[in-house]
Amino acid sequence: MAIKLVGAQIYDPVHQIDGKKMDIGIDQEQICNADALAPDCESIDVSDCIIMAGAIDLHTHIGGGKVNIARTMMIEDHQAHLHHGDHQCRSGSGHAVPSTFTAGYRYAEMGYTAGFEPAVLPVNARHAHMEMADTPMIDKGGYVLLGNDDFLLQMMRDGASQSAINDYVAWVLNASQCIGIKVVNAGGVHAFKFNQRRLDVDEVSTASGVTPRQIVNVLSRAVYELGVTHPLHVHASNLGVPGNFETTIATMGAAEGVPIHLTHIQFHSYGTEGDMKFSSAACEIAEAINKNKNVTADVGQIMFGQTVTTSGDTMMQYYGHEHASPKKWTVMDIECEMGCGVVPFRYRDKSFVNALQWSIGLEIFLQVNDPWRVFLTTDHPNGAPFTSYPHLIKLLMNRSFRNDHLSNLHPEAQRMSNLSSMDREYSLYEIAIMTRAAPSKILGLADQGHLAAGATANITVYRKQDDIEKMFAHPAYVFKNGKMIVKDGKIIETVKGVTHVVKPDYDKSIEKSLRTYFDKFQTISLDNFKISNDEMEECIGSRVVEHPCKKT
Amino acid sequence: MQFKHITCPQCGLLCDDLDVSVDDQDVTLDDNAHSVCQQFFVDAKFTDKSTLQPKINGKPCTLDEAVTYAAKLHATAQQSIISGLIADVQACRSAFALAEKTHSVIDHANGQSMRASTAIMQRYGEVRTTLAEARNRADCIVLFGAEILEKFPKLRERILQPAETLSGNTERKLIILDVVENADLAADKEIDFFHLALPNLETAIQQLQYLASPRASTKTEIDPSIRAIYQQISTSNYIVLTWTASLFAKNTAEQTLQNLTFFIKESMKTQRCVGLPLGGSRGEITANQVSTWQTGFPLPVAFTSGAPEHNPVIYNAETMLANSEVDLLTWVSTYSSDDTPKQYATANIVIGHPNMQFNQTVDVFIPVGIPGIDQRGLACRTDAVATLPLHSIRKNDLPSADHVLNLIYQAL
Ligand SMILES: [Zn+2]
Repeated sequence: MAIKLVGAQIYDPVHQIDGKKMDIGIDQEQICNADALAPDCESIDVSDCIIMAGAIDLHTHIGGGKVNIARTMMIEDHQAHLHHGDHQCRSGSGHAVPSTFTAGYRYAEMGYTAGFEPAVLPVNARHAHMEMADTPMIDKGGYVLLGNDDFLLQMMRDGASQSAINDYVAWVLNASQCIGIKVVNAGGVHAFKFNQRRLDVDEVSTASGVTPRQIVNVLSRAVYELGVTHPLHVHASNLGVPGNFETTIATMGAAEGVPIHLTHIQFHSYGTEGDMKFSSAACEIAEAINKNKNVTADVGQIMFGQTVTTSGDTMMQYYGHEHASPKKWTVMDIECEMGCGVVPFRYRDKSFVNALQWSIGLEIFLQVNDPWRVFLTTDHPNGAPFTSYPHLIKLLMNRSFRNDHLSNLHPEAQRMSNLSSMDREYSLYEIAIMTRAAPSKILGLADQGHLAAGATANITVYRKQDDIEKMFAHPAYVFKNGKMIVKDGKIIETVKGVTHVVKPDYDKSIEKSLRTYFDKFQTISLDNFKISNDEMEECIGSRVVEHPCKKT
Repeated sequence: MQFKHITCPQCGLLCDDLDVSVDDQDVTLDDNAHSVCQQFFVDAKFTDKSTLQPKINGKPCTLDEAVTYAAKLHATAQQSIISGLIADVQACRSAFALAEKTHSVIDHANGQSMRASTAIMQRYGEVRTTLAEARNRADCIVLFGAEILEKFPKLRERILQPAETLSGNTERKLIILDVVENADLAADKEIDFFHLALPNLETAIQQLQYLASPRASTKTEIDPSIRAIYQQISTSNYIVLTWTASLFAKNTAEQTLQNLTFFIKESMKTQRCVGLPLGGSRGEITANQVSTWQTGFPLPVAFTSGAPEHNPVIYNAETMLANSEVDLLTWVSTYSSDDTPKQYATANIVIGHPNMQFNQTVDVFIPVGIPGIDQRGLACRTDAVATLPLHSIRKNDLPSADHVLNLIYQAL
């Protein structure tokens, strides 16, 4: 089917289009030159609208065992948020960690067309993909977790070559059907299994004999040398610990110049100044990002209210469990690979620490100069549910709105923050960079995140209005692969989405040592560990789309 | 044909190290495996080829006719329940879609035995480990009840006492405690078997929990064996406590699991201690995982209002059937020919293992392929972390349960 969207202002930073009035053509699943369409094709007058590509969430916990643990523990939240089904949509529940169908619908209703699960355990990959396959409307992808697995740590201890490590990393990416590699508290989750309760970036883990810095170094290099577009995705050491900004800056250095992505960096930007020994180090962190062009970060903004923190970082989740609200918590050691921790949490605006966390996130957004290198996330659901994105965009785009909010927070937090002095207001063009152009670039999704002819027709049309939060919350139209799926903020058609993956080449002989490892120590055979394309499509329920690697 | 690395869904361990040979429709497990593991493959042999055809009120019919009839039963039912769910992920997904469309209640055949652990997760959260982690990391494993070894036949070889571990530590303490004598275990030099002079396992757990609690006093009377076990735990590095909730008395199971959880969480203050609950031998982990991600709630779930509703008291399948609160039962059970409904409703649809025999006529019986033999499937292991592929190793015309549920859905 062909459709012409007529007369909207276009925001397409990939092609430096900043609000110019242009027509957009849709032919089947792709964007086409509007002039090339037949004059009598369906056209929609969108002259009171702006158009951006479909938004892409770079970091959102939407699938996998830990999400299901969180759903189980968040019984009160689920019972308070029931979602009825209708002839289009399946029913569901939950606000902080919604059920899968609900998550897909809420994303589509906000104009998102893709979301990436950042914590796929290799052994849990099948499960994570099944949940994501049951998350309709959007495309999905996962970052598979390494850096606390006994196999890698053993390789490092044995002095394995970088190229052997590269082969292993590539093998895991292929086996788990993922698009990137993530490391969480490098070596720390492993050390926690040996009752080590803290591990700093240059500390040799007594359990593994290596330092977090060494792990981040070899993994960032592996990802780079394999030509995987998405840089190593790093959840740094010492999450949530006052004074951790130094760890974070040291972690950036561990990459030694190759690309590295620091995730939910807000949680890693804390100083120790003031009476409470807790302060903002947003300035130091932003400066480090500005200076080091190989560094990107997503923020992990917090919002006030009830949510649940779900993380692979058992060490720091255990450390934080005393603050659980409601009082319950889970930690789990997993399969000589990783772990997970789930702790419900309520961020309170009258709490000094929480108020300052809110402020620190915004300070980072406003002090990182290049919107191509800072990404809009709440680390859903850890900082806040993803449904708070429109509110976050308004905080970034509207200074007086931001300062009004700031003035209601814990007074000491206000005093400790220099947020009120920051004039910067994000433009629509910059928001389009952060939520579309930059995520597609950093993930290597060449056909997404922009509006040129040939791109996949993932398009969001917003009706212009004064309240930017309302505008971003309820788009006038959303198109997914050329199909209109949302009209006036409501779902009109349901679609499935695909799974984006990379499959870097590697020396297949690595499988020999892996087979020995699996046969001797693991509880699944190597052959059953690997997920094939046809298993993804026929059993798990999602078609795989492979993106190229550019070997260096 | 020979197949390697075949997954066996006969128990929640989902061992996938089996060699199986297939000769036309006959399937044989090659090695001298434990009889419990054999069961799944022995049961797959077709006893009576006539059962491979769907039946309405005991009379053979086509699949189309059976589906149409099943849809008609759904259309006229006042309140239906979908249960069994002894099936793979795909069938569970379709069962939930059907439940939602028909405003049914949905629960697993073993629903009742899962309630206690669900409640503990909802109320407190837990500290757990997984099979490979326990296998490689533990220096002390405590089993509550000797019966666990029978319920999970390859547990000892694969997890408790493997030939090799990553840590290289073979000095592992394996403690099994029970209130009944077990001469074999008592004589086993590789096991510390404690025959407790206590009324039940629950009391042992209660005493153990008491010893770890801050209010513990030396004056309270504690079984000396429990003191010795506690001493062993306190001096170990990675302690795994293993239980299966089905061995605990139903009316106090929640209290018992709470004691175990409190014990582990208290120990975690200074050392590494984890739980490894075992279960899932009838696919209940799989069904519960699908329920949790699709509806946001663990089982049971009711779709009577159009939104999922979770209430383990009101929507307990067994009670609803016993009290005739439902007039239609759809029973999905694909792993074992024995897993027929325990209780029936006024009308009954069975989507089941092809060798099923019923002690009463069911309105519709649709035999389906066995996941892991006739169909590819996906199943969640006891630790709810590993998901394994079930392979298709035999060719025949049996439809999958997933497909049949979809046909009924579409016919509505
Ligand atoms: Zn995260």
